[in-house]
Amino acid sequence: MGDVDIEKVQITSMSDPDIQQFIKKNSLALKVSECREIVKLIGRDPTLTEIHMFNIEWSEHCSYKSSKETLKLLPTSGPTVIMGPKEDSGIIKFAKVDGEQYGIVISHESHNHPSQVVPYEGAATGIGGNVRDVLCMGARVIACADPLRFGDPNGTKKNYVKYVANSVVEGIACYGNPLGIPVIAGDVYFNESFNDNCLVNVVTLGIIKENEIFHSAAPENSDGYDIVIVGKATDNSGFGGAAFASLILDESEEEYNKGAVQVPDPFLKNVLIRATEAVFKEAKEKKIVLGFKDMGAGGIMCATSELCDAGGFGADIDIDNIHISMKNLPPYIIACGETQERFTWISPSSFTPTILKIYNEEFELPNVAEGAQATVIGKVTKSTGYILKHEGKVICNVPVNMLTGGIRYKRDKKEMKRNFKEPNLKEPSDYNSIALKVLNNPNVASKAMIYKHYDTEVQGLAVIRPGEADAGIQAPIPGNKAGVALSVDHNPRYSRINPYLGGVAAVAEAMRNVAAVGAIPYGMTDCLNFGNPEVPEAFNDFVESVKGIADAANKLCWKGDGKSPVAFVSGNVSFYNESIAGKQIDPSPVIACMGYMEDYTKAVTMKIKEKNSSLFLAGERKDELGGSVYYELHKENGLNVPKIEFEKEKNTIYAVIDCIDNGLFLSCHDISDGGLLTTVSEMILGGEADGKIGAEVSLDFSGLRNDKILFSESSGFVFEVNDKNIENVNNIFERHGVKIVKIGKTVENKSLIVQKGSDVLVKLEIDELKKAWTTGVARAMR
Amino acid sequence: MSKIAVILFPGINCENETARAIESVGMKADIVRWNDTRNLDSYDGYVLPGGWSYEDRIRAGVIAAKDPVMNIIKEEAEKGKVVMGICNGCQIIVESGIIPGLQDKVQMALAPNKNPFVSGFYCTWIKIKNFSKKKNAFNLKLNEGEVMNVPIAHGEGRFATKDETLVRYLLANDQLLFRYCDETGNIADKFPANPNGSLINIAGIVNKKGNVLAMMPHPERAAWMRQVPGMHSNGESAGPGRKIFESIREYLK
Repeated sequence: MGDVDIEKVQITSMSDPDIQQFIKKNSLALKVSECREIVKLIGRDPTLTEIHMFNIEWSEHCSYKSSKETLKLLPTSGPTVIMGPKEDSGIIKFAKVDGEQYGIVISHESHNHPSQVVPYEGAATGIGGNVRDVLCMGARVIACADPLRFGDPNGTKKNYVKYVANSVVEGIACYGNPLGIPVIAGDVYFNESFNDNCLVNVVTLGIIKENEIFHSAAPENSDGYDIVIVGKATDNSGFGGAAFASLILDESEEEYNKGAVQVPDPFLKNVLIRATEAVFKEAKEKKIVLGFKDMGAGGIMCATSELCDAGGFGADIDIDNIHISMKNLPPYIIACGETQERFTWISPSSFTPTILKIYNEEFELPNVAEGAQATVIGKVTKSTGYILKHEGKVICNVPVNMLTGGIRYKRDKKEMKRNFKEPNLKEPSDYNSIALKVLNNPNVASKAMIYKHYDTEVQGLAVIRPGEADAGIQAPIPGNKAGVALSVDHNPRYSRINPYLGGVAAVAEAMRNVAAVGAIPYGMTDCLNFGNPEVPEAFNDFVESVKGIADAANKLCWKGDGKSPVAFVSGNVSFYNESIAGKQIDPSPVIACMGYMEDYTKAVTMKIKEKNSSLFLAGERKDELGGSVYYELHKENGLNVPKIEFEKEKNTIYAVIDCIDNGLFLSCHDISDGGLLTTVSEMILGGEADGKIGAEVSLDFSGLRNDKILFSESSGFVFEVNDKNIENVNNIFERHGVKIVKIGKTVENKSLIVQKGSDVLVKLEIDELKKAWTTGVARAMR
Repeated sequence: MSKIAVILFPGINCENETARAIESVGMKADIVRWNDTRNLDSYDGYVLPGGWSYEDRIRAGVIAAKDPVMNIIKEEAEKGKVVMGICNGCQIIVESGIIPGLQDKVQMALAPNKNPFVSGFYCTWIKIKNFSKKKNAFNLKLNEGEVMNVPIAHGEGRFATKDETLVRYLLANDQLLFRYCDETGNIADKFPANPNGSLINIAGIVNKKGNVLAMMPHPERAAWMRQVPGMHSNGESAGPGRKIFESIREYLK
């Protein structure tokens, strides 16, 4: 074991209470047992810098110490996977053009706690980190999606909830828009379980040729290569707020509060992206193999140690070479701080001058942001020690694989007592007013007020944008008709009642949404947002949710061969999401599904296209209103959340995709929040709420009570078919063994009429639907 | 083949699709960095694409308008070469005084949107009308009064001026090339037809000679039918915005 030149922390001779006090004083997240574990692992007392490094590497965020075992349940490989979850992003197979295989790079992250505390910066830096994850694979970043969960806008904390919601949206817009990355999908839920803990998840897509991937590893034979960092000058931002607050520094008090919040700089990031793309181009032309990695959690230490370890090397880094923007920073803050907008390169010394020239001269980083630049900070070494030097002294010297190896915990689990039951509601007498209330509910209503803040058109690749359909589509290879579809989904109320079924439903809905535009689900990511894993009930909810999404991914197979799972290629776990009183958020496994469409011109949107065409339903209406918007209006949760029958669901999805591929649907929309009535209303309105064709629907196809037919959220689709194509549609569904039923037709009248027998239950003008649907979110946000 | 330089200031983000739209009509497009002006005068025209040049510090476009590269572009514009600014490029050109260019000073600005629906940045599809009766470098391929479907994406897109007489001159000179209108082509002053509260619905202004255009909407995002909402089944065929680039090509012939 290598030694160091400075004083060590005498863990060995300290009592447990002494260690506890030391942990508190230094605001570490380590436990006493873990401090002793470090000594055992490295065979001597550690330096303060080394302790800080293990503190970060052994955090839940970096080590997945509670979740790793459970995550093994998820399918992560298959014929559509180019790269599963091992580097910063996963890669899913996409189109083959002129013999070259393209892949879609996808990453999914959360930035929940920062967004609750400082929502604008928190949301902005959330996007920043996720975009870096995709870029560092060598990809061109082409799209983002934002699943958001906010508290109850009418509840006891409504003012702060509205502040968080508006600031998060503004943060996303003010960061994503300048970067030039279009938002193509997203979803938003408001409920009281997120009052003290909003969720801000981000999904980012990139496109890459399979043979041009940059790996997050020091390349073969890279002994002696330069370690180059580029970007913003390192400061104290993003180094655990509490840790920073307990330090005595020369800096002013203003700096004192910056703490754990990273500071976003979309302007610098914009230039960094363009300069980095220039480095990619130069390296490809000269056939130079480089290692490249985003700097996220754990800053320089995590990025450099993981890069070197992945290649089987060590590192020798001089902290004094790192460009900093604050004086007198302790070395462990320089090494571990999470200053935004930085990357690490591993480069042969012959190519290093090219990298420095592109960043520092051609793109003038030092003039773009004060102190920003590319700098050589050390070398890759053959010995596998991770060595940090400061003022000529070795302050860290541990085997790199010990640093990155992480730790594991086996958490206890215990089923949570849930006392949900079905309510006994009277059938309503006035369906018109209920229908309008459902459409006006912020979890159903149009999200235009949010996504019109986002640039959905930049890059010029848009095919279908947010609001137009169940999934967004981009055409990422200019001139080619290949389309990439994306949808993000999860209903927190389902998981509140039943975490397993909530997980299943999220995967099924994400796949339905991708299928509803005509794309084939090719791969998924998950962002698993849960409570405290040290609480057995909360951990059990996590495990049950993962089982649910794993089962659905395995059983709703890839359409290409009908048997492989739709694999998870990347993901993220966010624990400790709970209220101030310690109550966990609704279990929230948020799913993103990426779909591939060979010819985007065949895609359909949800808006009704023609008068006198037929409306069909696939997916039986069942007594499954648990967690529904209808029950929410009655202040009930219910028990019967929608159950997915895997075989039927899979066949329905396949039949929908085949029909769209054959040009047989005029429009298509999945049934989810709000149920059948919402689905048909949204088809009438269209994403821009400018629809001019009405519909007449009869409920005679079902024997359920009328409110259950209209508001049950059982899975399904409604689609519009020109009468000349009905036979073909019937044939395709029959071939897949799925029953469909005609529920009505589209009409010239600008109204929605729903009948059972000769009773008119709903009669609403399009303008009434529009008013309810387009004002719901404004009511929540303002 | 005419050669167009697409100017990349730090913070610009629409350079690639703008270059593609230029090349789609058979011109050559080079993306040229702001600090690489060696052969800039060899181009036939210049397009300043959208984005956030210099972080939009102080006011959108102000800093880039003072960048040395703008002196070259000003000189070339005076020689009659084509210059077009889109979105942030529009803001830069207006802040440089080239548009409206009736006096040797800045006469207009792009003020924050006035929008009752969404405050701040607003991205949506709107209609603009070819309002100019005169032909210029940008409407050769457009019919008089033609209505086009194009998107906007900006927070500061409201043409404004302190000079009350300026509008009269602009109308008299036929410099108001594009104005926001409703579906039927009416210049309706209210939201949503006028999406940002722009002075008399101004969406794009040309200089008196008709070789420089500053417009807030994005024609490069409507250059393929695929990009137009509800029209994607038409695939890669020409979208409405492409006519502006075709006009430039014809003008440069």
